[in-house]
Amino acid sequence: MITKYHRPLALDDAIALAARSDAVIIAGGTTVNADPGRTPVVAVDLQALELSGIETDGESVRIGSMTRLADIVESALAPSVLRDLARRDAPNTIRNAATIGGTIGTADAESQLLTGLLAFGAIVTLAGADSTTTRPLKEILDDTQILRGTIITSVAIPSNGLAAADRTARTPMDQPIVMAVAHRDGDGAVVLAMAGVAPRPVIVEPDRIGDLDPPSDFRGSSRYRTQIASVLASRVLARVAVGK
Amino acid sequence: MSMTITLTINGSDRILACDPHESLRTVLRRAGYHSVRFGSDTGETGAAAVLVDGRLISSDVMLAVQADGHEIETVEGLAVPGQMHPIQQAFIDTGAIQSGYSTPAMILAAKALLAANPDPTQDDVRDALSGILDRETGYLRPVHAVLRIAAIMRGEEPDRIEVAFLDALVGADGPHHDRDALTAIAPRVVPSDDVPHTRVVGQPETKTDAIKLAKGNPAFTDDVDLAGTLIAKVLYSPHAHARIVSIDDDAARALPGVHAVLHYGNVERVRYASGGQSYPNPLPYDQVSFDNKVRFVGDRVAAVAADTEEIAQTAIGLIDVTYEVLPAVFDENDAIVDGAPVIHDEPDMEGAHDPSHNLVHHLKADTGDVEAGFAVADRVFEQTFRVHQVQQAPIEPHVAIAAWDSDERLVITSSTQVPFHVRRMVAPLLGIPVKQIRIIKPRIGGGFGVKQEMLIEDIVGHLTIVTGRPVRLELTREEEFVSSRTRHPQTITYKTGVDADGILTGQEMRIVANTGAYGTHGLTVQLVSGLRGLSSYNCPVKRFDCKVAYTNIPVPGAYRGYGAPQALFALEVHMEDIAASIGMDAIEFRRLNWTNVGDPLDIAPQLGEGDQDASVVPVVTSSGLEEAVLQGMRAVEWDRRDDASWKQPADRPNIRRGIGFAMAMHGTAIPGLDMGGASLKINDDGSFNLLVGATDLGTGSDTILAQIAAEVVGVSTNDVIVYSSDTDMTPFDVGAYASSTTYISGMAVKRAAEQVRDQICERAAIDLDVDAAVIEMYDNAAWAPDGRSVTLEAIALSTLHQERQHQIMANASYVSPESPPPYAAQFVEIEVDIDTGQVTVIRLVMAVDCGVPINPATASGQVEGGMVQALGYGHCEEMVYDEDGRMVNAAFGPYKIYRADEMPELEAILVQTMEASGPFGAKAIAEIPKDGVAPALRNAIADATGVRINDIPFTPERVWLALQDA
Ligand SMILES: Cc1cc2nc3c(=O)[nH]c(=O)nc-3n(C[C@H](O)[C@H](O)[C@H](O)COP(=O)(O)OP(=O)(O)OC[C@H]3O[C@@H](n4cnc5c(N)ncnc54)[C@H](O)[C@@H]3O)c2cc1C
Ligand code: FES
Repeated sequence: MITKYHRPLALDDAIALAARSDAVIIAGGTTVNADPGRTPVVAVDLQALELSGIETDGESVRIGSMTRLADIVESALAPSVLRDLARRDAPNTIRNAATIGGTIGTADAESQLLTGLLAFGAIVTLAGADSTTTRPLKEILDDTQILRGTIITSVAIPSNGLAAADRTARTPMDQPIVMAVAHRDGDGAVVLAMAGVAPRPVIVEPDRIGDLDPPSDFRGSSRYRTQIASVLASRVLARVAVGK
Repeated sequence: MSMTITLTINGSDRILACDPHESLRTVLRRAGYHSVRFGSDTGETGAAAVLVDGRLISSDVMLAVQADGHEIETVEGLAVPGQMHPIQQAFIDTGAIQSGYSTPAMILAAKALLAANPDPTQDDVRDALSGILDRETGYLRPVHAVLRIAAIMRGEEPDRIEVAFLDALVGADGPHHDRDALTAIAPRVVPSDDVPHTRVVGQPETKTDAIKLAKGNPAFTDDVDLAGTLIAKVLYSPHAHARIVSIDDDAARALPGVHAVLHYGNVERVRYASGGQSYPNPLPYDQVSFDNKVRFVGDRVAAVAADTEEIAQTAIGLIDVTYEVLPAVFDENDAIVDGAPVIHDEPDMEGAHDPSHNLVHHLKADTGDVEAGFAVADRVFEQTFRVHQVQQAPIEPHVAIAAWDSDERLVITSSTQVPFHVRRMVAPLLGIPVKQIRIIKPRIGGGFGVKQEMLIEDIVGHLTIVTGRPVRLELTREEEFVSSRTRHPQTITYKTGVDADGILTGQEMRIVANTGAYGTHGLTVQLVSGLRGLSSYNCPVKRFDCKVAYTNIPVPGAYRGYGAPQALFALEVHMEDIAASIGMDAIEFRRLNWTNVGDPLDIAPQLGEGDQDASVVPVVTSSGLEEAVLQGMRAVEWDRRDDASWKQPADRPNIRRGIGFAMAMHGTAIPGLDMGGASLKINDDGSFNLLVGATDLGTGSDTILAQIAAEVVGVSTNDVIVYSSDTDMTPFDVGAYASSTTYISGMAVKRAAEQVRDQICERAAIDLDVDAAVIEMYDNAAWAPDGRSVTLEAIALSTLHQERQHQIMANASYVSPESPPPYAAQFVEIEVDIDTGQVTVIRLVMAVDCGVPINPATASGQVEGGMVQALGYGHCEEMVYDEDGRMVNAAFGPYKIYRADEMPELEAILVQTMEASGPFGAKAIAEIPKDGVAPALRNAIADATGVRINDIPFTPERVWLALQDA
């Protein structure tokens, strides 16, 4: 439960506050506030830091961590596949508050946007007490402890390339049971990322799908998820191969 | 409160106190912005969405402090008193408002969208509404309300919303072009020649309560603010089955701010059945306010009243309960075998058939020797189905507030469908007489049967009696899922004999039903399953056998449809498969057998609930089924089923398309039992107060009742001011259930209005010097045949103040000996991805004979929203448990209900018939939309893929598994 609230005006102050063991960073707050917990925590709200915005230098697109999902959906600079995935991650009333930094912070197993960012090879910039580092999103999802004591300031993705996404869900806008995103960069290298097959969105070698051991839940058994994963993977891979 | 924030709310700066953890919703509501509504704490219902700097955001998941320094807009800022914002007007005009609980959020969504995009597409509008869940309208009318106002604001002609009359197809030939100019929301009516002309009845009038709902005025239970109110919280069982060995409440009582802790140790043990039904409540009486045993995860253990919600929650955590955990059983078939854990072993429970085998009831009925029917059959088919558990999930959860009034009477304001039943049922539990209790039902944010229950009123009543203070209890979303009521799961087996011509020779329906931990509604829901499951089709001999089992799942109760959706899923799938097996057309086979006007409903006398003469077999008195089937086939383009290139599109090799059909037949009220009363009186200006005990859940029943009164006394709908319902103020009514309000309460209103009309005519006859019998009433006046008239205002002023003074008023009530069935034809169009099993629903069409629709707009809304709820039943909603009986998906999202941005196309067609027994020819419409969607969806999957599945819902893995086996 939040007992103190800070809205730092400078990144350094935010980093210092975030280093406290009882600190919780608030971006949009849509995940943090939905589960207040019982232990006292100190909220560090990033809204006053200028971390929002989408820009491109022609080679890559840089998205500030406080950029709302709704702004990504609307942005002509963001790749259209990612815009659609940002739209699918949360309904309008949440998307207007939720941010890309918060989406990375949740490391949600079923986030379509995260899966897309993985396939695009997103690089995340982290500001810590001593230094600013960049880490591939994949490393953060493999070990979310990397985020401890740091603040995500931006995410960068390549602006060229070709991408495709597909999913299976109970209804068209439901969180997918399994989803797949393929991205082919300008050099023709293809990355396949999937959600619903592991505790986090993961990069999958197309010929190793059979090795996956997805967790079961009531929406899909492990066996079903594995089977559907190969169907969806071949569809998205075919689409980036054909260049559709 | 530890901090202050400054918000600009609707243009004015407000400095508000709050705690850092409080949500923006909590703080706005506390500051008096009642339009910001509670749907859950986790943001997914959108009922609390507000504009923050012009963006629509769920204020449940935004801290108030996050909003410090920002601009907030709520619906309160939109309209000045006496005026309406054009967006609000569009919601009213299109019939987009049912309960109105989430309407303010939708209106804000529209405002934000149109500010950014004056020319939105339908997809843009659906996306703008995607975060606001709606359980009532099916989103069709809200989406078109926004498109309408966008068009008006662009200076364009908006879509027509007037009733569109369609030509009858039965007996007609040649092409019809009457569908060409249809708009999505024009109510479609197929008129019938024998319906007399009316002025107000039959018009798509806007709802009488629409203005306050569009404006977000305080109108719901949660909006009642009484000084000194304590907050109640309930401790729920973490075990599916356990004995409570002891409760230590010392620490909870010692916590400052705690005013009462109640449990079995300090509350008197009075047995009852919680279903809100007529006196005497059906057996068994197997509940007490607080028991020393718990029977499902979510069962009540104790209740606390404290100064704040936080203190109450902390106190709940301090209650130390020692449980002796017992083995549990969840499946209805496992529960009734020897050796299963005995769920009700208490010596004082009353009225269960065989509690030592968890057998609550064993129901039997037959119309002869069904084995003889099978013996003469050409072929006999047997098929077993399993239907699962779902929840009503109104966006407004259960909420009740109790308080002593100045006369020391207990006033309970409650979101209930059954205020009169609650008053009678709660009195013995509280140990005070009925006359000392008053129940007020304000507006309700959806009910669907879950509020046909005396569910939490005893808790707030006990707590107010003990503390002397007002006490409020509002369930959280998770509590609403696990601790309120649900739909009964059943295992259903049909066995049917068919002769060589496709005529039924014998039909048997066997059910094992799961009534969970308590028997509330367990008898009557299952009776309706039998009644509906064995009434649609003629058959010389029928047999019904139903075992109702206790288990340790959360409690099933009343849910719109009340046993019929279960039965008709099984029946309509069974009939479809028999047709396929004998090589007959699926509709033709049903047509050979379905009931027509004059056919007996022969099993009804044995499966009735009311006081009926068992020797009188009711017959079908009106049916528009044939017309409904033809209209639906045309609307859904049924012929495409024969087009191979449509069914298997060449450019999408993994897709198969299909269309499915199901017929539905429902009832209209419980004959010989459901009773409604009405009172009508004239005011000085010739307007009328109509007082009814009937409980509008958002369905529009208040409006329909006003239309009926207005028709009779010759005024317009808005000259009739409706008040419903309050046990001190309004006549008795059983409440909103069993599709009874229009038919039963409507007839009571009609009779009261006829008496008032007679009193007016008597006076007008003197004034006009003509015989009362020749006077006609219309345009707010009484008219002589020669064209002279006297206004109702003149009559009112004269009778109230001047000559031969008396209050023109009348009371009436009504019980019906019959229950004329509405009929419907349901169609579902789908696509199946055969590689993944994913089913995408493209279109739902229902053509329904509800007699004469009193209000075609609200009737269409009932069908649209009902079909979408029913789609959830068939497609994606399910309550899922872990092995210990704990629900794993007690939140929207995991418990999936359809959103605005994924809705299939919807179409409702109203086929008129003149039902002589109903008010102005009306039958019921509220429940029948729940009956046909699941079987039609299943039959569509069979049409598309050949795969025949007998369990719902049709989730991707279930369909995929069936495809693998095929
Ligand atoms: C009703 C609802 C529906 C939803 N539907 C879906 C869905 O369908 N699919 C889906 O995938 N998700 C869904 N979500 C989840 C939603 O997408 C996330 O809540 C959102 O992306 C989180 O963003 P936020 O900015 O609000 O994060 P916050 O709640 O503010 O933060 C989330 C986490 O990230 C941390 N964090 C935030 N910003 C930073 C930063 N800059 N640096 C370091 N750490 C940071 C926080 O400390 C916290 O741990 C839904 C959420 C809600 C409430
Ligand atoms: S207003 Fe839509 S669910 Fe009630």
